[in-house]
Amino acid sequence: MPDRALEGVRVVDISQGIAGPYATKLLADSGARVVKVEPPAGDYSRRLGPFPGDVPDPERSGLFLHLNTGKRSVTLDVSVASGQAVLKKLLAKADIFVAGERTSTLKSWGLTYDDLKAAYPELVVAQVSPFGATGPYAGYGGNSLTALAMSSIMYNTGNPDREPLATGGEPGEYIAGVQLWLGILAALMNRDARGGGDHVDVSIAEAVAAADEYNAAMYAFQGAIRRRFYSRHIFGYPNDIVECADGYIVMIPGATGFPSPLNPGVASPMGLLLEDVELDKSPLFTQMGERMLNWQQFDELVQPYLSTHTAVDIVMTAQALRMPFAFVPTASDLLSDDHLAERRFFETVQHPKAGELKLPGAPFRMSETPLQTAPAPLRGEANEEVLVGELGYEKSDLTVLSDRGVL
Amino acid sequence: MTAGPLPLEGVRIVDLAQVFAGPACTRILADLGADVIRFESPSRLDVTRNLILTDNDGMDHPWHRASYWVLRNAGKREVMINLATEPAREIIRKLVANADVVVESFTPRVMQQFGLAYEQLREIKPDLIMCSLSGYGQDGPMRDFGAYGMGLEAASGISSITGYAGGPPIRSGLSFTDPYSGFVGAGAVLTALLYRKRTGKGQYIDLSEQEAAIPIMGAALLEYQMNARLQPRNGNRSEWAAPQGCYRCAGDDRWAVISCSDDAEFGRLARAMGHDEWTKDDRFATVLARHQHHDALDAAITGWTSQRDHYDVMHTLQKAGVKAAAVLDGKEALLDPHLRARDHFDTIDQPMLGKRPVQRHVAAKFTRFEPKARRHAPLLGEHNEEVLREIGMSDAEIAQLKEDSVIADTPRIPVPPQIISMALKLPYDRYIEAGILQAIEPDYREQLGIAE
Repeated sequence: MPDRALEGVRVVDISQGIAGPYATKLLADSGARVVKVEPPAGDYSRRLGPFPGDVPDPERSGLFLHLNTGKRSVTLDVSVASGQAVLKKLLAKADIFVAGERTSTLKSWGLTYDDLKAAYPELVVAQVSPFGATGPYAGYGGNSLTALAMSSIMYNTGNPDREPLATGGEPGEYIAGVQLWLGILAALMNRDARGGGDHVDVSIAEAVAAADEYNAAMYAFQGAIRRRFYSRHIFGYPNDIVECADGYIVMIPGATGFPSPLNPGVASPMGLLLEDVELDKSPLFTQMGERMLNWQQFDELVQPYLSTHTAVDIVMTAQALRMPFAFVPTASDLLSDDHLAERRFFETVQHPKAGELKLPGAPFRMSETPLQTAPAPLRGEANEEVLVGELGYEKSDLTVLSDRGVL
Repeated sequence: MTAGPLPLEGVRIVDLAQVFAGPACTRILADLGADVIRFESPSRLDVTRNLILTDNDGMDHPWHRASYWVLRNAGKREVMINLATEPAREIIRKLVANADVVVESFTPRVMQQFGLAYEQLREIKPDLIMCSLSGYGQDGPMRDFGAYGMGLEAASGISSITGYAGGPPIRSGLSFTDPYSGFVGAGAVLTALLYRKRTGKGQYIDLSEQEAAIPIMGAALLEYQMNARLQPRNGNRSEWAAPQGCYRCAGDDRWAVISCSDDAEFGRLARAMGHDEWTKDDRFATVLARHQHHDALDAAITGWTSQRDHYDVMHTLQKAGVKAAAVLDGKEALLDPHLRARDHFDTIDQPMLGKRPVQRHVAAKFTRFEPKARRHAPLLGEHNEEVLREIGMSDAEIAQLKEDSVIADTPRIPVPPQIISMALKLPYDRYIEAGILQAIEPDYREQLGIAE
C-alpha cells in the first residue's frame, strides 16, 4: 500500500452540503482521519439527490456519495448541550475542526474559534460561510449563486439581451471548498513550524471573487467596466463554443491562430483550417477588434466549414495546427471518454446501499501518496466505534443519547 | 488582523509556469510566504504580458503595463533567461538543488526536452516536490493537446450544464478552470510539503486541469449513472431551490439573485415583498407548486425587484432571512463595502503603474498571519543578478551570461514595441457602442482612492 500524505491528521467536520464536505473529502482522500458529524436526520445533501429512480433515500443521494468518500459518520445534534459535550470530547483529540455555519449560529452553540481557542490551543478551526465570519454581510445567507453574483463573474456571463447567467454545477461551493482545504493545509504548515492553532475563515463570495480573471482589473487599471457579451473574452473572438455538424466544440485559435505581425508572410493556422489562406488578408483575421465587433461576419466565414465537419474532425485538425480547440462533453461523454479511461480517472466504488458507482477520482495525481477514494459512510455507522471505542462512552450512554434524539 | 510570520517562509519555489493556472498556483504559495522565482524567456514572453494593458495603451513597454500579468505575479521574483541554452538549464539545475518545489505548466515533453524532467531533477534534489499543471495530464491520448482555460471548462463537462433553458451550452465569462486548477495545485503542493515534513520524501504531482474540475460535475455524473439522464441547461434555476433566479432591478442592466431553499424561506420572501398572500396561493404554497409555476412566480418577484436598486433588494431580503445578492460588475466588486472591509483587495505599488488594487488569491483569513500580495509583480529580468549571486555566481560570470544573451532584461522581438502596442490597443470606443463595455471612467483612480 502506498503512503498516505496526511496520515495521522485528525479532522472533525460538522459542515453539510458541498463546500465544507468537499474540503474534508480532499483531506480524507489524502489519508486524514475524518469524523463526519451529521445531525440525526443526516447531512442535508442526503436529501438533495440525485437518487436512483428518483426515489429519495438518504443512503443513496448521489451528491452525498460523491462528497463524503473515506469519512466515518457519527450522528450528533450539536445544537443541544449534550451533543456539544460529545463534540468537545472529539475536538480534544482533533487537529482540525470544520464548520459550515455562520458565526451567529456557531456562537449559539459555543463553537466559534473564540469559544474554543483557550480550551484547544492547537486546534485549527476552519469555518466556511457565505460571506465570512466578519464584515457587514457576515450574517447574510448564501450559496454558489450569491457568490457568483458578488464576484462579478456572473454579471459577465450570458447574453447581452438576457439576465446574467450562473455557471452550472454549483461551482462557487467547490471553489470555496478548495480554498477552505488549502487554508487548512496552510494553517497546519504554520502549526508544524511554530505551534498553535488558528481560525481559517473562508467566505464563499471571496473564494469565487479570488477567481475573477480581469473584471475588477479592467476597472483598476483602465477605468473600463465590462458587461456580458455572450461570455466572450474582451481580448478576442471567437474563443467560444460553436455548433458543428454533430454537436459543439470550443473554437480557440490561441496565441498563434491568426496572422501575427511577428510572423509576416506565414500562413495562419486558422486560414489553413478553413482551407483558404486568402483569409489571412481579411481585417477579420488581422485585427482582433474587427473580429470582436463584426463577429457575425466572422461567423459567416467559418459556418460552412463548421456545419460540414464533425467535432472530432475539427478538434483533431485544429490541434494538429497547434490551436487549442476543445470538445464539449456531457456527463455521459465523460464517463465513456477514452482519455480519462486510459488515465484511470474515475474510481469505481462499491457502496453497501447504492451499489457500484463511478466517482470522479483524484483532482491531481501524487506519485508517492496517491489520493484514494473509499465509499461514503452510512448515516451514523461509526457511532459506536467512535463514542464507545474512542471516547470511552458506555453502550448504554448511546441508547440514552439516541432516545433523546441527540444521536 | 495580525501579520506574524508566514507558513511558507524558507520555502523556495522554482516557477516555470506560464499564463494563468500555474502562476495563480505560485501566487498563492508566494502569498503564503514562499520565495517564488519565476523564469521567462526573452524571445517568448508570457502571453499575459499582452493582456488588459493599463489605460489600454502599451506605449513603448507593453510588457510592463499588463494588468493581467500583475494580478497573478505580484510578490514573485523573476529571472529572464533563454531556456533554449545549456547555461540557462545549468542555472535552473543549480537553483533546483537549493529549492523545495518546482511548478511548471508546459505541455508534456517540453521539460523532458529541456533536460528538466522530474526524474532528472530528482537526481540533483532527491526530496524535490514537482507539480506539473497541464490541460489534460502527462499521459493518455490527449496529453499533447494544446489547452487554454476557456476550452477546459467545456472539456470538464461544466459547459454542458451551463446555459439558458433550451439554449446551447455557454462558457462562463472567464477562463474558469485556470484559477480553479491554480487553487487546486497550491493545495496539492501544500499536501506534498506536509508529507515531506513528516517523511523527508518529495514527489511528483500530475495535475490535469480537465480532471481537477470534473468533481464539479459530481451530481451530473451520478444523475447519468443512476437515471440515464443528462442534467439539462436550466438558466439560473435549481432543483434544490424554488424560487431561484436572477431578477431585473431598477437602473441600467442591474440585477439581483434570489434563492429560497424551503417553504419557510419563501414565506419570509413573500412577507418582505409585501405579498403574504403568495404563501396561500395554490401556485406558490409548496416547493413542488413553485417549481411548476416558476415563470409566474418570477414575474411576480420581478414586479417587486424592478422597482428597487439591486443592493436594496439584497439588503432588504437578507435582513428578512432570504438568500439574495446584488449582481456586481467589476467596478462594483472593487467598491463593495464588505469585500473592502475584509481586505479582499490589496493595494500594491507597481513600478510605472502606481498604486493598484489586486485581489487576494488566498481567500481564507487567519488570525496569525496574512497571506497577501507582498510586493509588486516583477519587471522583466528584475532579479537576474540578485538571484544569480545567491547561487554563488560572480559579477564576471553574470556579465558573461548577459554578453552571451543567456540572461536579459529586455525582450528579444523582431518589431519595435510601439508596433505591438498598436496591435494590442483595443477599440474601446467602438466596444462601448457595441455593448461590450458599459463605460470608461477617466477618473477611476480618484474613485478608487489610488490617485497619486
